[in-house]
Amino acid sequence: MDAEAVKPLAAAIAIGVGALGPALGIGLLAGKAMEALGRNPEATGPVQQNMILALAFAEAIAIYALVVAIIILFV
Amino acid sequence: MGKLLSSPKLLVIAIAAVAALLVSVAGGALGASFGLGFLGGPIPFISIPAERVAFIGSYQLLNSTVMFWFGGLILLFIAWRAGRNVKDVPSGWQNLMEMIYEFFSNTVDGVAGGRPKAGRRFLALVTTIFLVVMIINWVGILPGVGSVGRIESIEEWVHHHVEKFEAEVEDAHPAYTHEQVEAAALVHLLEEHGEDTFVAFDGIFVPLGQGEQARVPLNKIISFTETDLHEIETAIERGDDLSHVEALENIHHDIEAGVVKSEFTYDEGGSNEKDYNFTGQTAGLLVPYLRGASTDINTTLAIAIIAMFTVQFWGFRALGVRGYGGKFLVNPITKGPIATFVGVLEAFGELTRTISFTFRLFGNMFAGEILLIAMAFLLPLVGIIPFMGLELFVGVIQAYIFAMLTLVFGVMAVASHGDHDSHAEDH
Repeated sequence: MDAEAVKPLAAAIAIGVGALGPALGIGLLAGKAMEALGRNPEATGPVQQNMILALAFAEAIAIYALVVAIIILFV
Repeated sequence: MGKLLSSPKLLVIAIAAVAALLVSVAGGALGASFGLGFLGGPIPFISIPAERVAFIGSYQLLNSTVMFWFGGLILLFIAWRAGRNVKDVPSGWQNLMEMIYEFFSNTVDGVAGGRPKAGRRFLALVTTIFLVVMIINWVGILPGVGSVGRIESIEEWVHHHVEKFEAEVEDAHPAYTHEQVEAAALVHLLEEHGEDTFVAFDGIFVPLGQGEQARVPLNKIISFTETDLHEIETAIERGDDLSHVEALENIHHDIEAGVVKSEFTYDEGGSNEKDYNFTGQTAGLLVPYLRGASTDINTTLAIAIIAMFTVQFWGFRALGVRGYGGKFLVNPITKGPIATFVGVLEAFGELTRTISFTFRLFGNMFAGEILLIAMAFLLPLVGIIPFMGLELFVGVIQAYIFAMLTLVFGVMAVASHGDHDSHAEDH
């Protein structure tokens, strides 16, 4: 295979595999946050805030994969 | 449904919406495979670095810089409107700004320990980061940003890209004269980028209705063959007078003209192949005048450096040079080698935080830009609307995350080692 043909494949694998971990992480985080809300609905504010913050950390990893994919594709 | 039918106004709106959707589906990439696709244009060249728009003296004005200044002006305007006529009972702009201030004032106090005014020192930077990042994210998705610009001609493109090859050739063959280096670099450029595609512009607009077919590969703009390139290469090696090589002269002529030379058909379409004739049209790339500031990695890196630098400053001011520096440089003899290693890791952590700040904002906003472009080509006119809303939301969330992480890192920096340290001193 020549380099040009591998590029889209490499980008797809980079973002596809790279999104797996963050997807699991975001699912776990949101699930736990929902659980916490179910037990303690008054704590909606802080739980939501901290959840969004933690989600950003998990999401950032997917974004790194995305940046790598973009660089493979366009550079 | 009954209500919808009874009100003629609603009915007209509903019909118009459905019609717009149908038109956009037929006009976009989906319709293109049925031979319609009258609204589809070629997907623009996506450039990761920001583009130059002008030179001010020797200073290169980037298109993302313009948008950052524009965002700053908007912030100044809002601040001026809010502070112009301050009343005891706030309304309008003043109310909005007070709301934002109050929200962040409460948040920093909450995160910094819950006592009133505990987070006072973080408030200014955290609120500033939030406002600046939010505004530059929002102005970045205004219509016209990234879609209005000038056309970079083939001549300019070759001029920009040949530099890299010239440096390579100079390294490999230091004995070459200037003309030889230039010609050799050009040959390398054509060999490597011959399949790169450019948009055939009909006048000043991106051609509509021809989709990907309006993308012309470079070897249809500059006509050359393998033997031509080979001829030039042997001429360079022999040390001939290059101004007499006909193939090189032709290539230079084609680069200067920058128009589509020969007919070509786009061979991926399958059934919907129409032969468009682009011969004689100017080929080039769109260089937008404006580009969202947060889709340039320099902007996000700058904000990240400001944030992390200030975090270190807070740490040193709260704990002193010994106290804060002691987090990173630990004496391996008195505290053990593991503590030293942990200190080194902590120091690296500060660096990776800067990088992750940078890429989080850049990645999110750049991906959003690409998403909007993709939707504009799949479903022209209407497809972009819900995603505009999504981008507005992402813009606020990313700004909030940037600000909150700065706050959290700041709080972590000013917190002393606590138990561990005081124990060590006691013993």
